[in-house]
Amino acid sequence: MNKHTSMTGAASVLGIALLVGGCASSVERPVGKLQTAESSIQQAVSSDAREFEPVLLNRAQNKVADAEGLIDSEKYLEAGRLLEQASVDAQLAGARSETAKAQQAVEEINSNIEALRQRLQQRQ
Amino acid sequence: MNKRNMTLGMAVGFSVLMVGCASAPQSNDRVDEARAAYDEIKNDPNVARSGDRQLRDAREQLSRAESMLDEGADIVKIEQAAYLANRHAQIAAEQGKRAELQQQINSAEERRRELELQMRANEAEQARREAEELRRQMEKMQAEQTDRGMVLTLGDVLFDLNRAELKPSGEQTVARLAEFMAEYENRRVRVEGYTDSTGEASYNQGLSERRADAVRDELVSMGISSSRVETMGYGEEYPKATNDTAAGRQQNRRVEIVISDEDGNIKSR
Repeated sequence: MNKHTSMTGAASVLGIALLVGGCASSVERPVGKLQTAESSIQQAVSSDAREFEPVLLNRAQNKVADAEGLIDSEKYLEAGRLLEQASVDAQLAGARSETAKAQQAVEEINSNIEALRQRLQQRQ
Repeated sequence: MNKRNMTLGMAVGFSVLMVGCASAPQSNDRVDEARAAYDEIKNDPNVARSGDRQLRDAREQLSRAESMLDEGADIVKIEQAAYLANRHAQIAAEQGKRAELQQQINSAEERRRELELQMRANEAEQARREAEELRRQMEKMQAEQTDRGMVLTLGDVLFDLNRAELKPSGEQTVARLAEFMAEYENRRVRVEGYTDSTGEASYNQGLSERRADAVRDELVSMGISSSRVETMGYGEEYPKATNDTAAGRQQNRRVEIVISDEDGNIKSR
């Protein structure tokens, strides 16, 4: 009885060790994800996200910074998840900035049109 | 024996529990949120027009999240997929909005171009009408086109011999000029006095200047700004005809009004 329990215990310890070992060796440094996240942030910046979506852009940048810390402590799985999130956060920040700029352009051109229309009316 | 039964019972119970889990529809707030975001845009034509990459990524991540949820996978993995699905759907939605706005910009730009063309046509028409009206006004005053611009020649009807005060008939002529200048606010004039060659040249010079000044003063008294009127006395210079005959001398005694271009520039002799 006692022997049986200790054997089970040994087996589970072995199993867990295998599992942990397996995970650590199968997950590589998320180099590609880091690059994708960084270039997504760059693109967002060139879409003027600093001006239009500073909070979301900042969140993406913080996630990349956190991920870099996790990579240093070889927590690649968690780092990878953060980097995936940072990429889509930055892409959304960029997309929202582009929408905001397009909205501004629409308003500008409409006020141009209104001014032209009024000038035409005055002339007639 | 008793113990074994208990173990068996537990095993059965456990498996029932697991089956129950697998068959009951699983629910997770993050996945629900992602599904709602995806459902909202999956049939949006503007999203479709702006490219389907984000939409496809949203769909893939969503179905990953849903199947992991059904399989009872690690909640962190499920929520990660849901997070990505939600974000991709949001990005697709933004791109759709942008495509719609771009379409608005394009049609607004076309409208602006049309208006600008119309404006230019109107301006040209207005300039043509103004030139026409100006020509008519000038004709009324008998101005003639010279290489110095439009010149209005007022004969010796303005002044009596050797006098520099406007006669009543002269005042009427100047009033017409003042009317014209009030209408064409950008135009300036130069009043030039000329005499015949009878008498001293220096006297004639002074007389021509006084006469030009008299015309200017009359214009100013009619409300024309003095900055719009230059004066010049030329005395006996630039005769229009011979000074040897009475008729020729009469032509030479005159005041010429040179009218500026529309920017106020006047060519001098």
